[in-house]
Amino acid sequence: MAINRKKIIEDLSKIQVAGSDKGLIEGFGVLVNQLPAAFWNGFAERLSSKVHPDLREATEYLLVNAGHECGYHTGYGIITSDEWNAVVKPMIEKVPEDILYGAYAVFTAWGWAESEVIEIKPNEKMVVRAYDYYEADVVKFGKNPKMSAYMIRGVSAAFMDLAYGGTYDKTGKTGLFTFKCDQVKGIECGDDYGEFIVTRAK
Amino acid sequence: MSEFKKTVFKAEHIFDSKNKRHYNNGVLSVLHCHHYTSLYSQLAIDAKETMLLTDVAEDAFYVPLVDYFTANHIDSLAEKIELACQYYAFLGMGKMTVTSLGEDSGVVELANSHLDEGWKKKWGTYDKPVNYITAGFIAALFAAVLNKSVRSFTVSEVASIVMGAKQSLFNVVKK
Repeated sequence: MAINRKKIIEDLSKIQVAGSDKGLIEGFGVLVNQLPAAFWNGFAERLSSKVHPDLREATEYLLVNAGHECGYHTGYGIITSDEWNAVVKPMIEKVPEDILYGAYAVFTAWGWAESEVIEIKPNEKMVVRAYDYYEADVVKFGKNPKMSAYMIRGVSAAFMDLAYGGTYDKTGKTGLFTFKCDQVKGIECGDDYGEFIVTRAK
Repeated sequence: MSEFKKTVFKAEHIFDSKNKRHYNNGVLSVLHCHHYTSLYSQLAIDAKETMLLTDVAEDAFYVPLVDYFTANHIDSLAEKIELACQYYAFLGMGKMTVTSLGEDSGVVELANSHLDEGWKKKWGTYDKPVNYITAGFIAALFAAVLNKSVRSFTVSEVASIVMGAKQSLFNVVKK
């Protein structure tokens, strides 16, 4: 494999964002923020835990959706960025599979989840494992039956949309939601790692 | 002769290379985009849980503010307010000015807002305020600066960039 994951993580983890005099951070075609992880976890966990059981699936769908749209648009911004072009692009041999391997190295470098692609069936399926991720911090002791890595699910589906869902569409009307992602293992559930399976949406 | 000392928020960034996590001033931090922030806010609105979003934000920002003031021996009210506004900008949330602050009430303005401007980029204008996250930040700011606990203040957004106003405006009232 051409992708040097260790080098990508080493180089890109050093990058820090900075705001303008308007207090806004622009990068990768989006406005960026750097909030405490406790904020994102706090809302997702409190909301998904308190909703009526009949509404949990819909609530979780929308939490995943937030990650999905973010992953699609920001993901596109990342894989077309100067940072990507400088570090990752020279390593790419096989498109789009190497882009996916590189994207998860960036995903790791920037603190979303220490994760890697385990398997790709081009245009059909991807399996990802995450060995440490902030979304697992919702459980500090014991294990919860509820899988909680909503952001990783959404972003993983988005990465496959970008790889196999056709040309990037900034309106999100095409390409986005070509794929979906299910979480089948979770650190928050007592497993050794989180595992995510991406397949074509029906 | 007295020296003029500008108050500057300092952020110490650490990357934990073992667990691949980023920390700013010891706080685990994550980069996210305006799509994510807008969709979280929309979810809160649809689920009628905007108060939950504000409370979670207040909790998340209160501890870093209090810890920063303590670690850096910041005692002056004016300095605490200035640093809190700089912290807000550091987070990428926008440009905040505390117009007035008292034990019972206050007024805060936003000249620029990640949430409002991100929402407009994504969906255009909206007919109601949406910046519940900043309401939580402001509640945390007032509590931290005035040495109160969380949930001491109610914050209401009375003018919004997302609704077409030039600036957003928040009223603060002690509970």
